[in-house]
Amino acid sequence: MSIVTSDIGAPQRRGAHTRGYTPAQLAVALLIAAFLLVFLIVPVGTVIFVAFAEPGGGLTLSHFESFFHISLMRESFWNSLYVALMSVVFATIIAVPLAYFTVRFRFRGALLIQTLGVLPLIMPPFVGAVAMQLIFGRSGSVNLLLQDAFGISLPLMDGLNGVIFVEALHYFPFILMNLVVALSNVDSAMEESAQNLGASGSRLFRRIVFPLAMPGYVAGASLVFVKVFDDLGTPLVLNVTNMLAPQAYLRITSVGIEDPVGYVISVLMIAFSLFALWASALALKGRDYATLQRGGSSLAKRSLGPLQTVFAYAWIIFVLLVVLTPHLGILLLSFAKVWSFSVLPDAYTLQHYGTIVQDSPMMIWNTVLYCGLAALIDVILGTAIAYLILRTRLPFRRALDFLASAALAIPGVVLAIGYLRTFRGVELPFTDGELLTSSWLLLVIAYAVRRLPYALRSCMAALQQLHVSLEEAAENLGATKQRTVTRIVVPLMAGGMLAGFVTSFMTAAVELSATIMLTTSQSAAPMSYGIYLYMQSAAGRGPGAALGVLAVLLVALGTYLSHRFLRSRAVDLDRQL
Amino acid sequence: MKIALFGRRLLAAAVFAAMPLATHAQVLTVVTSFPKDLTEVYKKAFEQRNPGVKVEVLNKGTSAGVAYVREAPATNKPDIFWASAPDAFEVLAKDKLLQKYEGKNPAVPAKIGSYPVNDPEGYYYGQALAGYGLMWNTRYMKANKLPEPREWADLTKPAYFGHVAVSSPSRSGTTHLTVETILQGEGWARGWAQMLQIAGNSAAITERSFGVPDGVNNGQFGIGLVIDFFGLSAKASGFPVEFVYPSVTAIVPANIGLIANAKNAELGKKFIAFSLSQEGQELLLDPKISRLPVLPAVYAKAPKDYPNPFTGKIKAKVNFDSDLSEARYYVVSSIFDQTITFRHKELVAATKAIHDATAKLHGKNNAQAQKLLTEARELAFSPIVGEEKAKDKEFLALFRDTKRNAEKTKQITGLEEYWNSLARKNYARAAELAGQAAALAR
Amino acid sequence: MNKVSLEARNIAMSYGKNVVLKDINLVIGPGEFFALLGPSGSGKSTLLRLIAGFNAAQSGQLLIDGHDVSNVPPWRRNVGMVFQNYALWPHMTVRQNVAFGLEERKLPKAQIDAKVRAALELVGLADYAARRPSQLSGGQQQRVALARTIAIEPQVLLLDEPLSNLDAKLRVQMRTELRSLQRKLGITTIFVTHDQEEAMTTADRIAVMDQGVIQQIGTPMALYDEPVNRFVANFVGSINLVRGRIEPAANGRATFRCPVFGALDVPDGTLRSGDAEIAIRPHAMALSRTREGTRQTWAEGLIAEREFLGEFVRYTVKAGETLFIADQAHYKGCAVYAPGDVVQLGLDPALARVLPAADADAREAHAH
Repeated sequence: MSIVTSDIGAPQRRGAHTRGYTPAQLAVALLIAAFLLVFLIVPVGTVIFVAFAEPGGGLTLSHFESFFHISLMRESFWNSLYVALMSVVFATIIAVPLAYFTVRFRFRGALLIQTLGVLPLIMPPFVGAVAMQLIFGRSGSVNLLLQDAFGISLPLMDGLNGVIFVEALHYFPFILMNLVVALSNVDSAMEESAQNLGASGSRLFRRIVFPLAMPGYVAGASLVFVKVFDDLGTPLVLNVTNMLAPQAYLRITSVGIEDPVGYVISVLMIAFSLFALWASALALKGRDYATLQRGGSSLAKRSLGPLQTVFAYAWIIFVLLVVLTPHLGILLLSFAKVWSFSVLPDAYTLQHYGTIVQDSPMMIWNTVLYCGLAALIDVILGTAIAYLILRTRLPFRRALDFLASAALAIPGVVLAIGYLRTFRGVELPFTDGELLTSSWLLLVIAYAVRRLPYALRSCMAALQQLHVSLEEAAENLGATKQRTVTRIVVPLMAGGMLAGFVTSFMTAAVELSATIMLTTSQSAAPMSYGIYLYMQSAAGRGPGAALGVLAVLLVALGTYLSHRFLRSRAVDLDRQL
Repeated sequence: MKIALFGRRLLAAAVFAAMPLATHAQVLTVVTSFPKDLTEVYKKAFEQRNPGVKVEVLNKGTSAGVAYVREAPATNKPDIFWASAPDAFEVLAKDKLLQKYEGKNPAVPAKIGSYPVNDPEGYYYGQALAGYGLMWNTRYMKANKLPEPREWADLTKPAYFGHVAVSSPSRSGTTHLTVETILQGEGWARGWAQMLQIAGNSAAITERSFGVPDGVNNGQFGIGLVIDFFGLSAKASGFPVEFVYPSVTAIVPANIGLIANAKNAELGKKFIAFSLSQEGQELLLDPKISRLPVLPAVYAKAPKDYPNPFTGKIKAKVNFDSDLSEARYYVVSSIFDQTITFRHKELVAATKAIHDATAKLHGKNNAQAQKLLTEARELAFSPIVGEEKAKDKEFLALFRDTKRNAEKTKQITGLEEYWNSLARKNYARAAELAGQAAALAR
Repeated sequence: MNKVSLEARNIAMSYGKNVVLKDINLVIGPGEFFALLGPSGSGKSTLLRLIAGFNAAQSGQLLIDGHDVSNVPPWRRNVGMVFQNYALWPHMTVRQNVAFGLEERKLPKAQIDAKVRAALELVGLADYAARRPSQLSGGQQQRVALARTIAIEPQVLLLDEPLSNLDAKLRVQMRTELRSLQRKLGITTIFVTHDQEEAMTTADRIAVMDQGVIQQIGTPMALYDEPVNRFVANFVGSINLVRGRIEPAANGRATFRCPVFGALDVPDGTLRSGDAEIAIRPHAMALSRTREGTRQTWAEGLIAEREFLGEFVRYTVKAGETLFIADQAHYKGCAVYAPGDVVQLGLDPALARVLPAADADAREAHAH
């Protein structure tokens, strides 16, 4: 999940024409640019503008002043910062030993760790949060047991602690994965030369290995920071509203779309996202240490000593247990008749699944429809942009890449606020005055824009692997550019495109930030909104959990399929070479 | 080319999915703060009785709902507004966002206690009744050996320290009604003293009103201050909870109203009529809903222990004054936040010190210690704003005016900061005094 | 500096069933510049890493200065190694890189500074101390790597393909520098290379390795003049190999019979009869229009190819069914032949060396 724009080499094509692009390519590029302009730049620009706009015209900082005058806002500001930073800290504590074990030791636990890297990600944090409350909360299973045994209770889920706990547990795989990649790219000679010069043990790790893997860590950590800072669903589900994202949501939905404070929050959120991404880009800049050198090999793996084995497995099993609790909890809750002040539910029932099948099949269908459409848009745009960047010499192709990637820095809440403000009153053509802002189409577009960077990376990678000679051969045999794209490029890129599709689909399926702001009616609501809605009443906990289980299964299935497809695809490519 | 094919199918599917929405003329749009459990039942029942009609439910928080109605374009207003808080309807009526019309069910009594069930001007109608009370988790109480509370005042007792949960009026309309009910029922000074003591005994000031019943349901908290249907519906859903109305409570209607310029006004009226009819009112008895119907005849069909506000069984001592409530809305919210929500840690510490000292002084006759303790109580449990000031029109107006300019903002923020720091100082001093008192008892 | 010896005794090592080192015996004298030469996969780097302590032998002993270090971890061996890719830590400056080993040895700060400066001055990079490795050229990086290693004053210096990452011109310059630096420090040095020219120009002695076995140890000249087997003969310089039969005669001489040259009287101490090969360097082959030399045995051949290399011309000559390489010194006005010319090919048996019989599936008659 690298977030830094990949380096784009000069186009390899040496066409006869000096312009380096055809009119059709130009037209496609302009269309994409227009799409991004309307659905990304203008809405975000509007948000920023409103935050600085004087009611009578002109620019002012007074909205920011009043923001910091409101103690709730100050509190929210610090809380968001605190939660994001602490989540990074705890995610680091979980991830670093796991990454170290994976890279350093030859043992079976590495497989467990790989599983650990995926398990949390398939559980949307706001779904997991409910279950965590029941298991780690004030009278949750764990604390009830602790109370019984030792008379103590841990405030794991109280207020901000709960948010930090849930987020750290959900997002630590980002650090784990980035760190494992970075560590395994450290050339063994780097370590050996230090040993040769007399360094060993933890000192060696601290002075040489970890600094070399630092860029990978920073990339992961900044991603965690951004994600936590953006997250609206988790604090809302945990009843925490004194943070920036919930405040932006509450201000805009209850005070109204004119409330400048909502825009100030938005600008702050963008600023922090940009800051985190900038910091990670800075950390990576000129420090692409962690690349294996020619003829190099990865760090040597050792066998675990007995003490190390005990510690490693203890840690892995502990993390695995904690990571599995939300999954287990939500599953139990979905089958539970009543679960209150007890370690496990009193009795079990299938009724909640019946309820959702009866009440909410529309929501499941909506999720499939919206996320499918959004992912389709992403793949089409991603392929087109990748092609324009890598295969043409359009003058503004880099700008296009930058535009498409810029969505990374825009929190879902902010994009939604931008849409609501920019498109208010805009009616959909061919309908009876239906508003764009109350149409599910806007949700699809928001999903598509926010996930475009991931799909684009996927498509770029797929196209980069494709040697230009394959296309030239087609052209040489008489295919036009368009025919070449449809008959050669797209089929060969299919793996990357599918990976992009699945990533976009899955992440959109469990996103709540933009969803909660842009969903208007129940019948047009996707599953993620449905889960949130169900969780708002006592009787809705069971059906909400059941819907959550379905969402988890959907995401797990997607993850599995994309892994499988990518693997078989990699095998294909190997065979081809 | 699988993707392209898949894409085509999806696109076709999208067109199909969009079609019924676009072609259906009979869509009723309901903006509501009520949970899906309630709306789903009404939606189904109404659609069944009116073939071809589709009910579109827009779930919004009360204030978000008001904002939504206000900001919807004139050509595309939703039809129905349906929520608990009477203030929200007053705001809508004042802004001419509701449509006046004669549609009441004559069988519905005009008043509950002294409170009019329907809007006297005919902008909106009481559709259900709601009272405020105490909800507790029986397992939690048993595990912690706590007696069942009956009155708000019970919650000030040391036994309940750390077991209570309340929300903040600034975050939830229903909590505001609860706090206001106590203030009106007990009077400003006593009411605040009680509120501060309850808050001092609270484990948490939850960020949303649903956080309280939710926490009681899953056993995080022992006792919560909640609106009745939260307790009743949870109990009916099988949770080990109980609910009582204390004597200092008010019964107020939850309302339904037709939105001005509603796109489907006739259908809207039909829905309101349905919701007020015998059939519509009976739906409220659904265990998942558990609200009090406004139609007395419906109670005949209710389960045995169902509370009936028309029999006088619920004492409802308080005659809720919604004008007063509205007048000091922001002041109450702000005082609550500055002295309770934001200073909760310090308040709890002071409360604990006072409880400890009280326990130590029990049965001992130490005048000086008693004096110190009384002083500590005064400091910790007195409202930061006196009753006189709370009635000051100018003071109230300062907070009430929603159009705030920089000058006013500064004034308000200055006041809030003053309250905040004063509360912190008071609580610290109270804890200190209580500590001294406890030391003297030794 | 105390010069130390290094000795390997019966070292064997394998990864599972894959034998990588077989019965390695080696004695390297104090201050010697010793090269391990072999193709990739021959086990030379494995042996070097074994000396550094990164690999462990299943059996055998490794002695440095007479002490068995087989069980000493890398960080206690005091064996300095310069890695093929230099392994300079990119997150540290040149100074920090060079100081690292000294810091690990917990030397006083002043001493570290002095030693770092001295090491950098020795490699001529004193002005580059504050730079990062990425700001240096390949040659400079290689010098930093060297400075970093010699700063700790190791007992033995190991160089793993030290010149392979440099361009051709720099390589020649660096190898001279390495040689003179080694002379100046007098440190026992082992270096690994696959380039026979590099090994021969720099090393005092060379061990030629193939398939985990040391094939031959000797001075560069000894290896060149008296290869013990076909592999060494082939690997060190170019050579013509002629298959035939040997019949021992008295006084360390034998008769070698082959189809092209008939019977040759060659020097051979083994006095065994059977299939054999003789090896002869291309420049020891005579080429002429007429059979004019008396020491040579002559055969008629046809020029198949000609390569002009400046100092000499390399002819590929077909005699009978065999292809020979004959290098003829070139100077203005010397005899030159063109492809297709019929020539006389002369072989001086005194310059040939008899090798044991080659494998049945013998390679081409000539190789480089």
